[in-house]
Amino acid sequence: MRVENNQRRQMAMMSLPALVFTVSMIAFPFIYTIWMSFQTYSSTGQITGWGGGNYRRMIDDAQFWNGIWITFYLYALSLVMQLVLGTGLALLLFRAKRLPGILRSLFISPFLMPPVVAGMMWLVILDPSLGAANWILTSLGLPPSDWLASPMMVVPTLAIIDTWQWTPYVALIVLGGLQSLPPSVYEAAEIDGASRRAVFFRITLPLLLPTLVTAMVLRSVDLLRFFDLIYITTQGGPSNHSMTLNIYGFRQGFEFFQLGYASALMVTLSVMVLGAVIALNRLRAGVEW
Amino acid sequence: MSRKPSDAPWLDWVNVALLVLAGIIVMTPTAWMILSSFKPSHEVTAYPPTLVFSPTGENYATLTRQTPFLSYAVNSLIVTAGSTILGLLFGAPAAFVASWTRITWPAVVALMARMAPGTLFLLPWYVMFRQVDMIGSYWALILTHAVITLPIVIWVLLPYFDAIPRSIFEAAQVDGCSPFRIFRRIGLPLVSSGLAVSSILAFVFSWNFFLFALVLSNAQTKTLIAASFNFIGEGSTNWGGLMAAATIIALPPLILAIVVQRWLISGLTLGAVKG
Repeated sequence: MRVENNQRRQMAMMSLPALVFTVSMIAFPFIYTIWMSFQTYSSTGQITGWGGGNYRRMIDDAQFWNGIWITFYLYALSLVMQLVLGTGLALLLFRAKRLPGILRSLFISPFLMPPVVAGMMWLVILDPSLGAANWILTSLGLPPSDWLASPMMVVPTLAIIDTWQWTPYVALIVLGGLQSLPPSVYEAAEIDGASRRAVFFRITLPLLLPTLVTAMVLRSVDLLRFFDLIYITTQGGPSNHSMTLNIYGFRQGFEFFQLGYASALMVTLSVMVLGAVIALNRLRAGVEW
Repeated sequence: MSRKPSDAPWLDWVNVALLVLAGIIVMTPTAWMILSSFKPSHEVTAYPPTLVFSPTGENYATLTRQTPFLSYAVNSLIVTAGSTILGLLFGAPAAFVASWTRITWPAVVALMARMAPGTLFLLPWYVMFRQVDMIGSYWALILTHAVITLPIVIWVLLPYFDAIPRSIFEAAQVDGCSPFRIFRRIGLPLVSSGLAVSSILAFVFSWNFFLFALVLSNAQTKTLIAASFNFIGEGSTNWGGLMAAATIIALPPLILAIVVQRWLISGLTLGAVKG
């Protein structure tokens, strides 16, 4: 019995550093932010009031609603492109069977690269007057674009950059799903003489759904919090057309030092991310086989 | 999907062609960045862009001469290595205990830290670190970056520990081995590849992380990635320098992508793909 207690104590000691770290750096700050979101601060950082003021302010703030819209627009556009292209790439990789190491390196290199570097790189490529992208477009006889400098194009452009960076990641997840599909189903389909199209839409895609939802969860969490790439390229501009909730909250907090309001914005964004993850997990439970 | 006898061989060629096309699309922007970093300054902004040029190291030389690039790099290394070590020191024993006792809080916390927007933590940290006058210190950066590395270590190591047959631990326990000894002498050696994967991933994601250093570093402790913002300001006139800076910042992750690619894939997809 004494030995058993001793063992328990040792186990507790081994998880203690992680526990202390978690409580002080993650759990406590988390609660502190929620608390701050109910405080109103004066411009000098003094607490002036308590209550739901920040949340009421949010409802009347057109910039907040703009942030919600931009966040979802960027999210939906990027997610759809990455899922479609990622599944396509996975099917190509799966069919090729043997993947040379150099190709694998090539495909993981975009998403191992810092998003900030991706931003620097694409800023130069997409420069409206001297960039290579517009040179290619005009050589093909297509009209050039202002890309990140255009209010209309800025969100699609950010989505394209993120899709360049993360499609291979989605492809690797889907490839893993394809490799785990039972071959017996395909043999049965072949005996029944099913067409290629029928096999894909009736067998592969339904069986792949749980994997696709996993990929959606992983990408959703990142896409709803989209920050680095926007901050390095546009900081929310031109004229707030890429001002996601995350960027807006950051600027409210660290450029205008509206700590209470920024906290309320971040709590709202976290609830949105959590809601998306819960909804997608429900969906996964529905498509599990 | 075993190959069907009805498959036409030309379809294989289409497949390869499409893969090559995808490879080119993936590779071209990065290649363009690296190429531009070696262009002489008057040619980087040439329009139409040039493909043939005599490569020069001028941009890199200017970068180290005109900016404290080297000290930024040293700062990045200190913060990245420090937070990776901290993540391993705290995370590996916690993952072992979590796997053994089936407690779930480490995994839940790891998930929470991955889901919450960084600014959510940064606001209270800023207040906390200002109170103890730690803003701009290496410790503030290492501790905050450990919030990225610790969840990675726990997430990657948990399945490795789970895969060890429990009978091995139980036999050692019967022989009077203490949990800590079992962890050190049996657990750790058996998950050595997991340790390698988790430290590489922790290193890459800590290296790449932008937001915390953007706010919590000062002129002396600024990391490369936080400094990249300054390069863009200067970059409006100096694309060569900007691309040289981008290339150097991307170098450690890219080297790892080439050297240890096969290992990383299972870890990167956080268990979504069994490696």
